[in-house]
Amino acid sequence: MSMSAQQDAPKAPPGFLRRLLRSPSGAIGLGIVLLLLFFAIFAEMLAPYNPNKMGAGGRFLPPGGKHLLGTDEFGRDMFSRILFGSRITLLIGAVAVGISLTIGMAVGMIAAFRRGWIEAILMRSTDVLFSFTETLIALSFVAVLGPSLQNAGIAVGVAGIPFYARTCYAAALVETSKPYFEASISAGARPARLVMVHLLPNVLPTMIVVATLGVSTAILAAAGLSFLGLGAQPPTSEWGYMLAGSRDYINRAPWLMTIPGIAIAITVLGFNLLGDGLRTSLDPVERK
Amino acid sequence: MWRFLGTRIAMGALTIWITTILVTLLIHAVPGDPVQIMYAQSQGTTPEQIEEVRRSLGLDRPIPVQYAMYVERLLQGDLGHTIRGGQPVLEVIIQRLPNTLLLACAAMFIAILIGVPIGFLAAYREGTLTDIALMIIAIAGISMPHFWLGLMLLFFFALELGWLPVSGNGWLNLVLPALTLGLSNAAIFARLTRSSMIDVMSQDYVQTAFAKGLPKALVLRRHVLRAGLLPVVTMMGLQFAFMMGGAIVVENIFSWNGVGRMAVEAIFQRDYPIIQGFILTFSVVVVFVAIAIDALYAVLDPRIRRS
Repeated sequence: MSMSAQQDAPKAPPGFLRRLLRSPSGAIGLGIVLLLLFFAIFAEMLAPYNPNKMGAGGRFLPPGGKHLLGTDEFGRDMFSRILFGSRITLLIGAVAVGISLTIGMAVGMIAAFRRGWIEAILMRSTDVLFSFTETLIALSFVAVLGPSLQNAGIAVGVAGIPFYARTCYAAALVETSKPYFEASISAGARPARLVMVHLLPNVLPTMIVVATLGVSTAILAAAGLSFLGLGAQPPTSEWGYMLAGSRDYINRAPWLMTIPGIAIAITVLGFNLLGDGLRTSLDPVERK
Repeated sequence: MWRFLGTRIAMGALTIWITTILVTLLIHAVPGDPVQIMYAQSQGTTPEQIEEVRRSLGLDRPIPVQYAMYVERLLQGDLGHTIRGGQPVLEVIIQRLPNTLLLACAAMFIAILIGVPIGFLAAYREGTLTDIALMIIAIAGISMPHFWLGLMLLFFFALELGWLPVSGNGWLNLVLPALTLGLSNAAIFARLTRSSMIDVMSQDYVQTAFAKGLPKALVLRRHVLRAGLLPVVTMMGLQFAFMMGGAIVVENIFSWNGVGRMAVEAIFQRDYPIIQGFILTFSVVVVFVAIAIDALYAVLDPRIRRS
């Protein structure tokens, strides 16, 4: 392995965490995401009630007192439901992005690395799928697999593949055209080494940003499916599904509508801010 | 320019062709027997009737034959019949598609009307408090689920204030769904316009125009706005597709009688002919709009027009 090939390959910029925390969006975003993770992991310990226990309190109790966020139409404690909902939301975001990211990156890197007809087939089909739009792909998947939380996660994950593939392909293409990469090929590096040592570490920063922003898109899409009744099924305390149920009591108990909505918005905002912060602290060009 | 448009049209045709294949395969991807599932909800269906349906849908034939049959019927404008009610699918879609298109166009209009000026203002005041405040509003707008925004608007304007009807299909009924869809997309337009304008304002020719003393308004109108809006126009195609997707949810909140609401009902009822028709219609509309916007882009951008 030639030395120059290793020296030229850009490394993750030093002092990255410090820079992330110094940007306001990065710090706030990271704070929100960590807090949510904390809620999701320790939901059992933090929740005062079983989220699905009916009659934990009276029906339609307004926020305050023994029930911090009030109770719903079955007397279930809203605070406990929101806490457990964070677990579902983060899990579904992670599953969906995991699917989009692994398959999308594989497609993008293979296309950029192999070129020729493999590239043509992979990227043209990505273009076609991309023009289908994520909503339509997700909806078609749910139509085939049937409505469930798990299927909604898979559907949203598959729907995201074209976007991830395109972004990864573009990032990988930039890398393969750099002199150090060609030098590496000339030096006789094997494909596995080229991909693992040069390509992967260099597309990762871009893909980490895309995936972080992608978590918010995925959470919104999955909550949207659950809102339509095509995702989480009763009595799951999924936020989108809770919102759908709140419609019938919009006058009587408006907090049933506001609270899950705020929960989704804060979560999505957290990942959006974190993604923005990561972009500016990872990207040397944006880092002025 | 014709080469540019030719490629786009070919890509669009390819997309629609692949859609027809996927739509034919869709029914086979269903776990279990699709005909059984479709009729699971209706009572008193005899096995003979089920066989009859299987034959009429061509499901007893090999898949390539089914595909050929599907395309042949498609070319005659036959999208099959709904499971419930037995209406021609094409008729059902034609009835409802204008409502969805109307909603998407109205929302697009609102999104551009609000988003572009905000983005322009933020770019013009880059780095100031105005810019920061506007961008905070924009990122909050992007993070807000549009179905929640819809519920909130419904709550305030229809229920609390009683200014607008809760649901229905008149002109007044269009206001809330269009606002819901438009506002959540305005934030995307604002962010895009801002970054595009900032990019243009730092270009040499704009700096030169300012330096040689041209009036500010003239530079902004002739040089900045024109060039800065091009990426926004490019995004409109993709944005329209988002609107069509968003319409599926928004139509359900406001009981707006469009194809999105029809599709969700069909998924619940396992009415596969409608679902197939919906997917095909959706992709045809998105492809046509994308080509129209690419054509607009080609006309607006001299670099493409003259190539």
